[in-house]
Formats: sequence, C-alpha cells, structure tokens
Amino acid sequence: MILISTIDIVRTSLGGTGKLLPVAILIICAFAAFWLFPYDLGFLTQMLIMMVFVVSFDLILGYAGVATLGHAAMYGCGAYAAGLFAIHASPDPLLGLAVGAVIGALIAFFSGLLLMRAHGLSLLMLSIAITMVLQEIASKARDVTGGADGLSGISMTPILGVFEFDFIGKTAFWYAFSVLFIILVVLRVLVASPFGLALRGIKDSPSRMRAIGTPVYWRKVTAYVIGGTIAGIAGALSAQITSLVSVEAFNFALSADVMVMLILGGAGRLYGALIGTLVFMTVRHVAASIDPFNWLFVIGFMLLAVVFFLPDGLISLPRRVAGMIGARK
Amino acid sequence: MKRLCAGLLATAIATFALGGAALAETIKVGVIATFSGPNAIWGKQFKEAIQVYVAQHGNEVNGNTIEFIYKDVGGPNPDASKAAAQELLIRDGVKYLAGFDFTPNALAVAPLINQAKVPAIIFNAATSAINKQSKYFVRTSFTLWQVAVPAAQWAAKNGAKKVVTAVSDYNPGIDAETAFGSAFEQQGGTIVEKIRMPLQTNDFAPFMQRIKNSGADTVFAFLPAGPATFAFTKAYSENGLKEAGIGFIGTGETDETTIDSLGEQAVGLTTAYHYSDAHTSDLNRAFTAKLAELFPKSRANMASMGAYDGAHLIYKMIELAGTDGDKAIEAAKGLSWESPRGPVSIDPTSRHVVQNVYIRRVERDGGRLVNREFDLVKSVPDLGFDR
Repeated sequence: MILISTIDIVRTSLGGTGKLLPVAILIICAFAAFWLFPYDLGFLTQMLIMMVFVVSFDLILGYAGVATLGHAAMYGCGAYAAGLFAIHASPDPLLGLAVGAVIGALIAFFSGLLLMRAHGLSLLMLSIAITMVLQEIASKARDVTGGADGLSGISMTPILGVFEFDFIGKTAFWYAFSVLFIILVVLRVLVASPFGLALRGIKDSPSRMRAIGTPVYWRKVTAYVIGGTIAGIAGALSAQITSLVSVEAFNFALSADVMVMLILGGAGRLYGALIGTLVFMTVRHVAASIDPFNWLFVIGFMLLAVVFFLPDGLISLPRRVAGMIGARK
Repeated sequence: MKRLCAGLLATAIATFALGGAALAETIKVGVIATFSGPNAIWGKQFKEAIQVYVAQHGNEVNGNTIEFIYKDVGGPNPDASKAAAQELLIRDGVKYLAGFDFTPNALAVAPLINQAKVPAIIFNAATSAINKQSKYFVRTSFTLWQVAVPAAQWAAKNGAKKVVTAVSDYNPGIDAETAFGSAFEQQGGTIVEKIRMPLQTNDFAPFMQRIKNSGADTVFAFLPAGPATFAFTKAYSENGLKEAGIGFIGTGETDETTIDSLGEQAVGLTTAYHYSDAHTSDLNRAFTAKLAELFPKSRANMASMGAYDGAHLIYKMIELAGTDGDKAIEAAKGLSWESPRGPVSIDPTSRHVVQNVYIRRVERDGGRLVNREFDLVKSVPDLGFDR
C-alpha cells in the first residue's frame, strides 16, 4: 500500500516533461478513434460531450469535495439556453456555447449560494430538489420548451462560418473534441493554481483552511460556478449536435451516471474523469447491445470491484500495479 | 487519413446513388426503439410483431431479402436516437428506418432522414406535429386527436351532457384534453372542469373528490397505461364514482399488456381506441394466433399493431419503389389495405394512418380481461394535423 500525498499529485501535474505527455496521448487517442471507428462518430461524439460534463463534476466533487446529485441542473439549463438561443436569436454555434456557459454559470451561482451552505445528506437532497424543480418548469412551460415532446427545430450555421455540420458527424466530433481539449487545458492550469490548491485544502480539512484565513464558502461557490459553466457548455454541445433538447436532460439518472463515471475513473484527477467516462460508456454500449436486459449487472460489478480494489479509481491502476511489483522485490 | 475519409464519403454517396437500382439485394431496415429499462415493453412488442409479420409473409420482396436491424435507445433519449440513426444509415446502410416509441426520439432523426432521403415509419410516437418535421415520416399508430375526438362525439351521442376531463399533466395529456374538449363542445356539451394531474402521482383520491363535486355526469380520463391507470381506476371504483352515476370514458388506458393487472375494477370501463386484440376478424385471429404460437407469453396491443402494419407498409413500399426514398414515400401516400385492426389507408397530406376508431368496454373473457368492441366511428384521419 502506498500513499500519494496531495503535494505529489500537484507536483506531477506541474512537472515539465510530464506536462505534455497526457495532452499528446489525448490528441493521439482522438485521431485513432476517428480513424478506427469512422462509423461510430455519433457515439464517440456523445462520449466527448459526456467527458466535458464529467470533468466539470470532477472539479466540484473530486477537487472541492462537494458531493451533489443535481449536476444535471446546469447541463439541462445550458442545453435549453443554447437551443432557444439558436431558434430565436442566432444559429451561430460558438455564440450558442457562450450562452449555454453563461446560463450554466448563473444557475450554478444562484443555486450554489444555497447549496454550498449545506453539507452531506441535506446537500444531496437539496441538489436533487433543485434539478427536479427545473425539470418540472421545463415540462410545464410547453410554449417555450416544447414540454415532453422536446425542443425541436434547432439548426446550426457552420462553425466559424467554415465547418458545416455534416451527415456523418465528422464536424460534430472535432467540434466536441476541441471544446473538451480547451476546457482540459484551462482546468489543468486552474487546478494547479493557488485557487486549485485551496480547493484541495478545503476537501481535506475545511476547518484548517478556515483557520488559515481562506473564505471556504466563497471558494466553494466559485468552484461550483466554474463547474456549472462547463456543465452548461456540455449541455449546449448536446443541444447543438442532437438538434433537440428533451426534459430528460434534467434526469436524476444523468446526475447519478456522472457520479458513477467519475468514481470509476478516479475523482480528483482530470484524466480519471476521461477514463471513467470512456470505460463506462463503452461497456454500456457493448454490453447493452449484447444483452439489453442485464447489462446493468456488468456496470455494477465493475464499480464494486473498482471501489474495493482501486479506491482512487481506474487511473490509479498503473501506480498500484507498479507498487505491488515493487513491494514484491 | 484524408484518403480514407474521401473513400468513406464516396462509398456513402455511391450507396445512396445506387439505392434505386432494381437489382436483387439485401434491403436493411433499422428499427430504433427501447429494448432495455422500464420502457422495454415497446421494443419487445415491436420486435415480436415484426417477427410475426415475417413469419406470415416471408422475408423476400421482389427477390430482395429484407433484414431488420434493432437498435436500443433505452427510453426517451433523443441523443441516443440520433446516434443510432446515424450508425444505421452510415454503417449498416439501411434504406428504411422504423420504430420510434417516444416523440423526442422521432423528432431527433428528422434532419437526418431529410438529408439521407430515407423514409422513417413511426410505429408509435403520437404527437401530430412530428410528421410536419420531415416529408419522410409515415405513421402507422394513432394520434390523440384521432381517438379523443371520436370519444367526445360518441359520449355526446350517448347521453353525456356535462363532462369533466382529468388528464396527466404532460403533452399527450394536454393534447387529449384539448381534442376532447373542443369536439365535445362542438357537439353541444359542456366541459365543467379541466383537471390536470401530476405525472408522478399515484394518489388520485383528491381528484376523485373534485370530479364528484364538479357535478359532471361523465369523466374523460387520459393517463399513461400502467401503474397510474391502475391507481386511477382503483380510486374511481373505491370512491364510489361508479355508484354516483359518473361514467368513465378513456382512450388507451386499458392497454392489453397491463389490463389483467388492473383486475376486476377495470370491468365496464369504456374507451375509444383504434385496436383491441379481441377485434373480430379473420386477419386479427390469424395475427394473434401466430403471436401466441411464437411468443406464448405475449399479448398483442396497439404497439404490436403499429409495428405489424408498419412492417406491411415497408414491404409495400419496397415492392413499389425498391430503395428510392422519394418514390417510396410517394408510393405510400394513399395506400390502403386490410389490417388486423380493420380497413386502413395512408392519408396523402399528413402521411398518417386513416382508421376506424372503436368504442370498447372491458369485459371478462375466460381467464383474462379484454376490450370488447361494441360501436365504431369509421375512417378517422389525424384530426390534429392542421392545428
């Protein structure tokens, strides 16, 4: 058993040569996926959007240690905002993303003012409640949102006026990947910054952080707003690429899935969020097509195994294996 | 990589371009529906009905082999529906899409089928407006306007004067409320109260009190089949509405797949709907017998009928137009045939099925409950298309 201290993780994420390696791997993986699975771009794009969403949750749960079950609130609001903006204001995708981000941030700010005062169970309950209220509003305001039929009629102009959304989904894939990439770069800088370190400190010991003068509450609200902004972007991406938003965007199951994906991959590690999403969605896709009725068992057992044997998630697997080999010697 | 992309694109274009060629080939049909989770019944009913159709009619049309490919989307999930349609169109090269249990799932593929010029046959999704989103949509199920208006007309003719509507508060419920209300008032009746009940609730006692207090002689109800209907009909009989002389008229609440679990309290409920598995015709008897033979545990319902007639329509379109999407849609318009549910045809403007709507009453038939038809309104089109 080896323990990795917070300092170590921060050091590695700040390190010189190690800095570029994961980025390079990410780009190589994207090209490989694009090349190897040209017929599955629709599914891969969904996965990329979900990665953006899970990474945003990682900032809140993994770094700040705030466990909520209502992350779909910002995702859904971002999706509806981008959809409505495309229909009524401008079909430009990048502007739509910005609108989704702003709405996600606003929702996160106002709900965060309340949520970040709560802890534990009451926080879980409140976050679920806020999402349910929003879902109810979306399904009642039929004239605006289309209700249970979904918001349809979203059409997009080419990205930057050049890249048109094509039938096979190539543009959508690279669009989603670029957004994910930019967000990851921003988050890498953010989590290594003093603000990121303060979040880790709050996660480990809020009372000590308060004692050394950190405004714990406002730090958490800020983290929640940043997470909400990114979740809003993820929602906007899904609205633009699917051209339809349904009230299912607020589903409790979505918030829960996001948490499962994050725990699976490794909370508190940006690439853990990506690995968790990749594994969860691939297993679901493959298992669901083999046995549509019992695939949840596979996910359940996988999660159990990871929680018991790899408490830090799949991303800690290489380190654990290396540790075991080292211990034997 | 560029070369591969170009090659891919060329193949895709070539497959589309060659689509119309009348060579003997395997024509693939992609069925997008829910095969997992709480709504898996839709996919199951679709798939079984298609298999019954294939068992009765073979899998060849004009020497072409028809192959059905099933894709699960796990419930109302437009993202998954669109990704599934993309995969089917690009990888599998399907020439027809079909299925679609939920409205958002159908709406999500509209831009795709417009681009690919591939017909999509809707087996269920019952919102009128779907067919306006693409000229490649054809629907073989029903719309709420199509069944709620005949329900209102029949109620008005059979003594109902004052009606209270009680619907689940979501789009289909609102559709049913508006359709029934406008048609009933046109017939000279009055709607005394419009009650919208939360979709999630299973406690209907307070609503029963409101229905009683409203002074209506009949309640028109719309709820999703299953637990909600069970709780509603239970409350209806327990709160003495039947004894108070308040009649019940509904639409699809007494669905064949859930009717037996409703139990004795369902007996006597009157509904207006387009299909009952107790419909008396040789075609229907042949259909239900074949279904019982292949799948002894299953029972035919409206979803089976949507898929069965959908499969028939696809066979017909392939027979008349091969794999040319535009020609196939033209061929489908105005097509009429005898279905196990009765005579049906495809309306050329709305591309929706025109059919008889039957007035049925729940009766006990041996060990099971059935919707026994005793009256009908002939050849009803989609009355909601122009709203």
